[in-house]
Amino acid sequence: MTTYTVYKEQLPGLFEKWSESYALYVPAKLREGFYDLVPWKRDLEIAWDFDVAYNSPKRFLFPPREALITFNRKTCEAEPVFEAPPQILFGVHPYDVKAINQLDQLLETGSPDQNYVRRRAATVVMGYEPLTVSPTAFWASVGAASAAHGYDLYWTKIGPAAFTVEVGSARGEELLSMCGPLVPSTAGDKEGARRAKARVLFKARHNGLRYNWEETPRLLSKSWDSPLWRRYSQMCLACGSCNLVCPTCYCFDIREEADDQLEEGVRYREWDGCMLESFAKVAGNHNFRPKAQDRYRHRYFRKGKYIYDKIGELGCVGCGRCVRACTAGIANPLKVFNELWEETAHEH
Amino acid sequence: MNTKPFSPYVPRPVTLVEKTKLSDFVTRFTFEQDNGRPLAHKPGQFVNVSMYGIGEAPFSISSPPRRTQNTFEIAVRKIGAVTSALHELKPGAKVGIRGPYGSSFPVMKFVGKDILIVAGGLGYIPLRSLLFYQLRHRDEFNRMVLMVGTREPKERIFVDEIADLAKSGDVEVLETVDMPDETWKGNVGVITTLLPKAELDPANTYVAMVGPPIMYRFVIAECRKKGIASDQIFVSLERKMKCGLGKCGHCQINELNACIDGPVFCYTDIEAYQEAI
Repeated sequence: MTTYTVYKEQLPGLFEKWSESYALYVPAKLREGFYDLVPWKRDLEIAWDFDVAYNSPKRFLFPPREALITFNRKTCEAEPVFEAPPQILFGVHPYDVKAINQLDQLLETGSPDQNYVRRRAATVVMGYEPLTVSPTAFWASVGAASAAHGYDLYWTKIGPAAFTVEVGSARGEELLSMCGPLVPSTAGDKEGARRAKARVLFKARHNGLRYNWEETPRLLSKSWDSPLWRRYSQMCLACGSCNLVCPTCYCFDIREEADDQLEEGVRYREWDGCMLESFAKVAGNHNFRPKAQDRYRHRYFRKGKYIYDKIGELGCVGCGRCVRACTAGIANPLKVFNELWEETAHEH
Repeated sequence: MNTKPFSPYVPRPVTLVEKTKLSDFVTRFTFEQDNGRPLAHKPGQFVNVSMYGIGEAPFSISSPPRRTQNTFEIAVRKIGAVTSALHELKPGAKVGIRGPYGSSFPVMKFVGKDILIVAGGLGYIPLRSLLFYQLRHRDEFNRMVLMVGTREPKERIFVDEIADLAKSGDVEVLETVDMPDETWKGNVGVITTLLPKAELDPANTYVAMVGPPIMYRFVIAECRKKGIASDQIFVSLERKMKCGLGKCGHCQINELNACIDGPVFCYTDIEAYQEAI
């Protein structure tokens, strides 16, 4: 794999150039302890040491609300709507790259989600090796410490003013070379990148599953009737915050609006959440997951088993966002999986 | 000619040609595809119907597959926003549809066998597609038994049609209601009370059932008691379906999507799923 060394002083020029033809998002500090990817502007201070972006990158590929069709009520004709603005996500941590790869796999297979496919194709992902680890994160223990693919460029900070940049695509290499010739990384720089990764991995291991993550589906298949589900879910406020911040949750509702003349309208999709009370409720008010415990369990089974059975990876990348967002303090895949492990340990 | 980029979310227009009241709340709608083509569905599949400006909802197709006509039928209970708007429609009105979607009853498995069709409440609507498809090829099947259960006599739908079927001799019809009124002369009790009345040959009988969620567990238990194997039992499961494409997550039954893996399932394939029955 080609790796170049890029210096900090080159960045303003590159950002300037990229922002001419792309919407460019970079990590910035919102307030103490809160970071997010925000639109880049000149003199914006980049939060190189951000631990986690409060919102996951899914919103760039799968917006909270997205038009699917426009329609005419009189003629009953409908037209597809596709929006795919060219955009660069600069500073995507590897666990989030993994989450994007997972969305790719789930949304592009079967009946490919055309709206997603187009947005994804117009999106440049620039991965970035974290320097710090969020206190609620556990990505190192769920196989999400590094992403083998899914990025156009992968940046690692190897000193106060230098980065190594691994090339993941021709598109990425072209973007990187927009401000002049590129310098291939020396063996020393590559070693610097390796060490940077080792350092953050060491930090990330403070928190983790007590077992091999690949055991999770097996563990869950023994845990359907565990008392844990009720214990945690009885405090659930059914607010759906865990669904909203999750980088791999993509369930959606379909709704529509018409203009005030009731002639033209738009049908759109909107993020939905399996933790919301009405998520599985059908006409006539029959609810297929009536209890908080049913909904709570479904979410963990989806993350720990259903997705795994489909693609061989956990549906949870260990970003820890839900742990932080949960107002009741019960969303915590790490705690849930570890406790189930303890519960079922005697059965091994 | 401009070619629109493909989106699976774009419905196509169909025109309402006939509307028939079936009971106080249930109406049959016959639509014609504006593109002139047959719907090309299989018994058990569904379409998503768009009432533009109000919403989209899935409905089982009630008519048997028609290879030479561009019409199809759904039967709908007036219960929410989309279904109420549907009931307001007059012949000539247009709506949008997507589909047909989902799995279907494996009719070829039933060839040469006995078929027991168990319809609880509105379950007759999708089963009607299977029933009339089999009747069109009646000589390919052995015995056909239809069991219909309704809560109250006034909620019975397709009353004349079912009476005609009974008279025709092609189908053995058994009917029951849970709560009889003074007009009701037939069986009284839940649908499971009909099963002991039919002498079935368990090794050669396939079962197709559709009904309210509570019905399945009891009817399946009765069938198993009679010695009918799990892989001879087919159910159609209702869930909240939105996208119809296996993406939006609403209709999940454990890891299955009712919209693409179902709605018709062989009982063997779902026996192990806690959320199924």
